[in-house]
Amino acid sequence: MFCGEQIIRCICGERLALAPEIKNGPRELWVRKVRRPKEIEEMIDDNTILVRRTLRSGQKIHFDGNVVVVGDVNPGAEIVASGHVIVLGTLRGVVHAGASGDEQAAVLAFRLQPTQLRIANHITRPPDDELTGPEQPEIARIKENMVTIEVFQSSDRLGNLI
Amino acid sequence: MSEIIVVTSGKGGVGKTTTTANLGAGLASLGHKVVLVDADIGLRNLDVVLGLENRIVYDLTDVTEGHCRLRQALIKDKRYEGLFLLPAAQTKDKTAVSPEQMKKLCADLAQEFEYVIIDCPAGIEQGFRNAIAGAQKAIVVTTPEVAAVRDADRVIGLLEAAELRNPALIINRIRPKMVRHGDMMGIEDIIDILAVDLLGVVPEDEMVVISTNRGETVVSDERSRSGQAYRNIVRRIKGEAVPMMSLDDSGFLGRLRRIIGLK
Repeated sequence: MFCGEQIIRCICGERLALAPEIKNGPRELWVRKVRRPKEIEEMIDDNTILVRRTLRSGQKIHFDGNVVVVGDVNPGAEIVASGHVIVLGTLRGVVHAGASGDEQAAVLAFRLQPTQLRIANHITRPPDDELTGPEQPEIARIKENMVTIEVFQSSDRLGNLI
Repeated sequence: MSEIIVVTSGKGGVGKTTTTANLGAGLASLGHKVVLVDADIGLRNLDVVLGLENRIVYDLTDVTEGHCRLRQALIKDKRYEGLFLLPAAQTKDKTAVSPEQMKKLCADLAQEFEYVIIDCPAGIEQGFRNAIAGAQKAIVVTTPEVAAVRDADRVIGLLEAAELRNPALIINRIRPKMVRHGDMMGIEDIIDILAVDLLGVVPEDEMVVISTNRGETVVSDERSRSGQAYRNIVRRIKGEAVPMMSLDDSGFLGRLRRIIGLK
């Protein structure tokens, strides 16, 4: 526990350009201002949103930062993020990480089966004859100028990976 | 000289999208340059039926809003040379496009393609008005159900009001056996009510479900009855006089005829 924890209530600004369905949800966020040891400072990224539901066809999330979805992303749904995209569920829709050009951005999903996967200015799609989906969490990112998909090892520290 | 055709029905689920995909594939397989336009903004399906969903980068609204050039939004089909798709947006709604924009879009497409086929959304609201705005001809799809025929009648009236006269009718999913037993409306009954030219009759066929789920079109299936029906319709669109195929497939003679190709 950190000492001197201070909680500030603030209204979520226009920075969140979400689908109208989401916009109409609770607009207030609790933002924690934490005084923390210096070595932890660089590990913390406060530019992330958490989506706690399944994204369905026609729903779109546009966010300047990282997006974490606890749920599935169905075909026809779309996530566009300037940072990383993490889906704790099955990713079947269209996803664009590093949308403003960040080639370091990654897409991580429990089941990575996107209709189309975009990172920075790369666009890929699964081969037409691919029938079986992955059996384990995978991570997609740009390596040597190509989008590569690898099994996500829990021993890899997330901080190193993405 | 190119043709701009809208495929509409009023009622949902009668087979507009399937018909659009099959007519497009059929015309393309005969060597024509065809573009299919999905006008069902917010509830697109044509890309899925054609198995092209994963190729979409730009869509119709990106073109009308000027985010991309028309060329960039066109998706080339993976089976038919000469078949292209202009997909609808999924994350926007019908108000994203105006009838004037559709008119211009159709005119632009007609510069490059011999056939522009527009898949109309169900209903008669703005999506319908957008879809028919740029069309020169209309194909009305109906099924042999009272509600579908009623809606088709309403739509034909609206088409005529929009100067799209003499729409052609496709009767979809007919079951000859049920018609014979008097359990389903027959072709004559439907023509009697709608009083329009019959372009073709497509029998109920499991192959449609199978091929649609695979992202393929049944028109290329030489053995299926519905595929044959669509091939006939395609030739009629081209202006050929093709006799209506016999729907009587029961009995030994009917089956024998089918086997030796005398339909």
